[in-house]
Amino acid sequence: MEKRHTSTMYLLILFFASILIISSSLPVSAHKVIIFAWVEGDTVFTESKFSDGKKTINSQVLVFDKEGKQLLEGKTDNKGEFSFKIPKLTDLRIILNAGMGHKAEWKIPESEIKEAGSISEIKRIGESSQPIDVGLSKEEIKELIEESLDRKLRPIVRIINESQSKGPSITEIIGGIGYIFGLMGVAIYFKNRGKKA
Amino acid sequence: MHISEGVLSAPLLITGAALAAAGVAVGLKKMDYEKIPQVAVLSSAFFVASLIHVPIGPSSVHLVLNGINGLLLGWMCFPSILVALALQAILFQFGGITVLGINTMNMALPGVICYYLFSWLVNREKKLISLTAAFASGLLSVFFSGILVALSLLFTEQSFISVAKLIVVAHLPIMIIEGIITLFCVAFLHRVKPELLGGIYGKATY
Repeated sequence: MEKRHTSTMYLLILFFASILIISSSLPVSAHKVIIFAWVEGDTVFTESKFSDGKKTINSQVLVFDKEGKQLLEGKTDNKGEFSFKIPKLTDLRIILNAGMGHKAEWKIPESEIKEAGSISEIKRIGESSQPIDVGLSKEEIKELIEESLDRKLRPIVRIINESQSKGPSITEIIGGIGYIFGLMGVAIYFKNRGKKA
Repeated sequence: MHISEGVLSAPLLITGAALAAAGVAVGLKKMDYEKIPQVAVLSSAFFVASLIHVPIGPSSVHLVLNGINGLLLGWMCFPSILVALALQAILFQFGGITVLGINTMNMALPGVICYYLFSWLVNREKKLISLTAAFASGLLSVFFSGILVALSLLFTEQSFISVAKLIVVAHLPIMIIEGIITLFCVAFLHRVKPELLGGIYGKATY
């Protein structure tokens, strides 16, 4: 009986030591890939990375339309980025294939492309027209604001993208270990009951 | 080395799940009262190991710890790894529920193989033999896992050889680190708790 006691103690020591080692190496990294895409004018930009922040270099990116037909494919550059001209006005499904079974997906709805597209068209018209003090129509002002908002919001979108890719938190880690030990309790309970019966 | 959801075809997923279920059944049958806490500890170790990322090489790789799992648990590493992978899928979104079976298979089978290859050497009293065997099992279990992952991707990716090469090369640093970790674990257990290694020290670990 006592022997078993000491063995449990050793296991516990081993376990807590490993917890200490692990938590000291936080922030942790994860093992999945993420692709993130946004529209600017008539171009779609994508950014891909592993969830520990490492860029996925030279990975295949596939673009599908609503019906699942492949529109184009490309490779990410050494910053994990890949951009392409919008091939057609449809819901785009962008799939990242990082190899070794890693895969991620990002969807761009048709409406988003339409909006961005219309802005860039107005912009082109605006560029060729007279200076601003001539007076702008309400619509033009609206488009200009939207355009600059797009530009200003880009970093924020990026931040959201970053935060999306954060690794698991300490709560989840401890929670998971808790689950395992809970299951251990259940297993012991059932084994024990079988013994008594 | 977690295979993501939606990469593999249904027949492959079902085959993987069936094989994993068989392995888990064998493992549960062998799991006796005193082994349960040990399985739980090693399961938690496997669970958190995937968070320790090694920033060497072209891809993003992390510790696996299926070698030490297999070495100490034998067939019981199937339930151990299944539970850990399920929690990783739910809490960390690594892998996924549908690919749970095949991922369990890819991680646990190498553990069992290493158990049969090395556990009789690991519990030798000669330090050199024992520690070499421990190192080899840590290294080879990751290697075998890489091969199995490449095999499962055989039907989706280009060629087996190129995928296998890619995975093995990406995991070379991990293989060496796992070997060293397994070596230290075994050395530690030799000192404080040799029964856990089975064989001549105590009751065989099946």
